[in-house]
Amino acid sequence: MSPSSTMYRGKTGQWAFVLHRVTGFLVFMFILLHIVDVSTLNSPHIYNSIHRLYGNVFLRLFEVGLLFALLYHALNGLRVVMIDFFPKVIKNEKGVFLFMLSLAVVMTLVGAVFILKPFITGKV
Amino acid sequence: MASTIKRDSTEIGLGRRSSRQNFETWSWLFMRVSGIVLFFLALIHFFIMHIMHDVTTTTVAFVAARWSNPLWRIFDWMLLALGLLHGTNGLRYIMDDYVRSPIKRVIVKVSVYGISGILFFVGTLTIVTFK
Repeated sequence: MSPSSTMYRGKTGQWAFVLHRVTGFLVFMFILLHIVDVSTLNSPHIYNSIHRLYGNVFLRLFEVGLLFALLYHALNGLRVVMIDFFPKVIKNEKGVFLFMLSLAVVMTLVGAVFILKPFITGKV
Repeated sequence: MASTIKRDSTEIGLGRRSSRQNFETWSWLFMRVSGIVLFFLALIHFFIMHIMHDVTTTTVAFVAARWSNPLWRIFDWMLLALGLLHGTNGLRYIMDDYVRSPIKRVIVKVSVYGISGILFFVGTLTIVTFK
């Protein structure tokens, strides 16, 4: 099946869906990694050195990316639930999508300040 | 005789839904309900562990203090179980969409379900056995 046959053009719903799928996939991949790193809790030395590694600036940027993926997936998921359960409430699907996307971006930027603060202040 | 034929035709036609259709309806409902619960569990978890506290301070001692309250162990186990189920089911939709060859689909699905199952076991073991 070619990609064009599963694509319909010109609607924001398609992009909301693609972004929902990609962010969901990425968050899930991180969960798998996260279960493995937390499983080293009973070897404190290994666990603590992994968490020092997470303090690295590249992994902090990765953490910001994870925050965006999580926020978008959560907020757009609410939009999907509202459309499925209360179809009459949402009159402007595109507007709600753009609102959720903007909210995810703004909240990611606020979160990024906290996540990157130790790097900005030179503690890392 | 006539009634038997009639009943058969309704079973094949509009009368009943296949078990596959029923499963997909429950799957659809599960994704919405678990999604709403995960909205709170995942965002609270991220806020506490990544915004309130810096990632380098969430050491073994930090987790030990946090997990001294069994409610946080239950919270984390719920996040583990629902996150894995919601994520694995989401990945099932992706596999159904993109893995078209029946043989490859079986191989990929068995691998994904196997990895999810093993990690569910590993995660549960970590939460239960950590002192």
